Amino acid sequence: MSKRIVVDPITRIEGHLRVEADIENGQIKDAFSSGTMVRLLEEILRGRDPRDAWAFVGRVCGVCTSVHSLTAVRCVEDALDITIPPNAELVRNIMFCAQYMHDHVVHFYHLHAMDWVDVVNALKADPQKTSELAQSISHWPKSSPGYFSDIQTRIKKFVDSGQLGIFANGYWGHPAYKLPAEVNLIGLAHYLEALEWQKEIVKIHAIFGGKNPHPNYLVGGMACAISIDDVSGINAERLAYVGQLLQDGKNFIEQVYIPDLMAIASFYKDWGAIGGGLGNYLVYGDLPANGYKDTKNYKFPGGAILNKDVSKVYDVDVRKDDEVQEFISHSWYEYKEGKDVGLHPWKGESKINYTGPKPPFENLDTTQAYSYLKTPRWKGNAMEVGPLARVLVGYARGREDFKAVVDKALKDLDVPITALFSTLGRTAARGLESVLVAQWAHEFYDQLLTNIKNGDTRMAEMSKFDPATWPKTAQGVGHTEAPRGALAHWINISDEKIANYQLVVPTTWNASPRDSKGQLSAYESALLGTPVANEQQPLEIIRTIHSFDPCMACSVHIYDEEGKHISRIGILEN
Amino acid sequence: MIQNDNSILVMGLGNYLMGDEGLGVHVIDVLLQEPLPGNVALLDGGTGGFHLLGHLEQYHTVIVVDATLDNNAPGTIRLIQPRFASDFPRAMSTHDIGLKDMITALQFLDKMPKVFLFVVSIESLQQQGTQLTPEIEAAMPELLYKIHQQIAALQYEQARELMLVEN
Repeated sequence: MSKRIVVDPITRIEGHLRVEADIENGQIKDAFSSGTMVRLLEEILRGRDPRDAWAFVGRVCGVCTSVHSLTAVRCVEDALDITIPPNAELVRNIMFCAQYMHDHVVHFYHLHAMDWVDVVNALKADPQKTSELAQSISHWPKSSPGYFSDIQTRIKKFVDSGQLGIFANGYWGHPAYKLPAEVNLIGLAHYLEALEWQKEIVKIHAIFGGKNPHPNYLVGGMACAISIDDVSGINAERLAYVGQLLQDGKNFIEQVYIPDLMAIASFYKDWGAIGGGLGNYLVYGDLPANGYKDTKNYKFPGGAILNKDVSKVYDVDVRKDDEVQEFISHSWYEYKEGKDVGLHPWKGESKINYTGPKPPFENLDTTQAYSYLKTPRWKGNAMEVGPLARVLVGYARGREDFKAVVDKALKDLDVPITALFSTLGRTAARGLESVLVAQWAHEFYDQLLTNIKNGDTRMAEMSKFDPATWPKTAQGVGHTEAPRGALAHWINISDEKIANYQLVVPTTWNASPRDSKGQLSAYESALLGTPVANEQQPLEIIRTIHSFDPCMACSVHIYDEEGKHISRIGILEN
Repeated sequence: MIQNDNSILVMGLGNYLMGDEGLGVHVIDVLLQEPLPGNVALLDGGTGGFHLLGHLEQYHTVIVVDATLDNNAPGTIRLIQPRFASDFPRAMSTHDIGLKDMITALQFLDKMPKVFLFVVSIESLQQQGTQLTPEIEAAMPELLYKIHQQIAALQYEQARELMLVEN
């Protein structure tokens, strides 16, 4: 006898993800992940000027706004064979790094930490002991007993007022919370510090991108003129400020995020054997150190790993017709050639055909279509994308910088490499790549300064900006590694306009429904075997799904039909 | 924390790609073309979420414009003065969680500005595209008038307080 439980929505931020899980003997036996919102960007873009695509796709979501814009300019540049100047690549890289540092820290403290840190329990901590513990794991200066007791006073005021706000949805006191009160208090204190810090690092986007949120990009380069003495351009003062923000970011990651991550992880080592899932990982690669076309010199190398075998990394080609394909056998779409074919995105179609139950409904018929997400596959394989995939591919490719951070973490936690294939591994990988990204950001920044000192201030290649120079038809693909994983946009240009535009986004790889062969995608697969101690409070499901950092805004192509988005956990006898 | 005592931010929120849901962004586009007092700043907040915190805490007063899905007729304009995240209408648009989180965060940080929230009822969040429906287009002049009126009232109140201090 199994019970089906429904968690909807499961995200703490944008979008609508619903998970249905069948539970038997306290463990998940089967799981179904459904995107319940549709947002047809493809239709909005059709017929528009390709040079404007970045501005529209940047509006998809407020979380990783700039990575979609980056991918859009790359795909148009690919179609029109434009090579951007080195400075533009460096500025894009620095913005990319700032985005990562922001997104990963916010994910850890604000979207995921409360799955591990019990806020209410933090009130019981001894500030003196908390201070001693904090000083033993980090040199971060804010660590006095007075500091921690002040945090407790502030939180107590909130808890007593009944206005829990962000903390209102926690399962406080759940038996799966294992941290001592003092670690909970450190986590909570840094939750607040991270809130303060995160608003600083994003200023880099405003400096180079003119505004934030939704910074500006440009086909051919970047729209920020370097002019060392000019008050309105990227001048010496602004560049120095960027350097300071990058340094502050690196300090925060090294002295706050990583020590907290390791301290918390040390109490949850059992999660190093839960939530692994597929064991197949896909990375397109990013952070070009020598131009976007030189893929061998990406800081994040591309590649695919199958069946957890890190001795072999396969090359990935997003152009090949038989590599990346999208299937719809369990999605609310229809293709001209029927439900069972897979289409490469250059031939992609986005026609909706909702066949699900009329809302409000109790549960979905998961034998039929049950999601607004399509199902992407790489050479027919279900793949996980994201930080864990990137760290594993970097490690498997033998990159020294990856090996250094991974080996140290495994040693410090005293766990084998197999512990990476898990919920804990995913959460740890996000922290480890943050360390790398913070280091690389400085390399890009130093290179930018060197170029400027050497007299190179070129920021855009505009010779092919005029549509009169374009071929009658062209197709391109742009890819990136969004914080949540491999992201690519495919474009077909015809008569100077967008004829077709397809986005295959990270959360679609991870959160998609099963394919026609019955192969589960990453979320569904990762939930199998997960223990659930209390069906009314499925904290364990949330931990694993949150470890992927779900963000549905771009992956589902409208809102739940009733506009209903009230948090709900339903339990159905099956 | 607060730059100066009479600073006002008018922030429009919404997803520009989702029809009426993006009306906040449309409002800022119009206000950018209009004369405003020097202490008033404008921000197209888009679907900014966490990115907005730095903007919000810099101002004494923030006027937020956003869409909401309630049972009122499309184009109904309401002014709310929320003090807690729970004072926000429940069915605000797709970015609502971000904004509510930001309000709680500002309270935690003790940097909560005075907030005036204009919400405009829309019929559906299912719209695609960058156009507003005729009902929302028709409500725009009144919405803009009310925003200007609110700015004027704030200016008057601030001037009055200043005079009281000086006297």
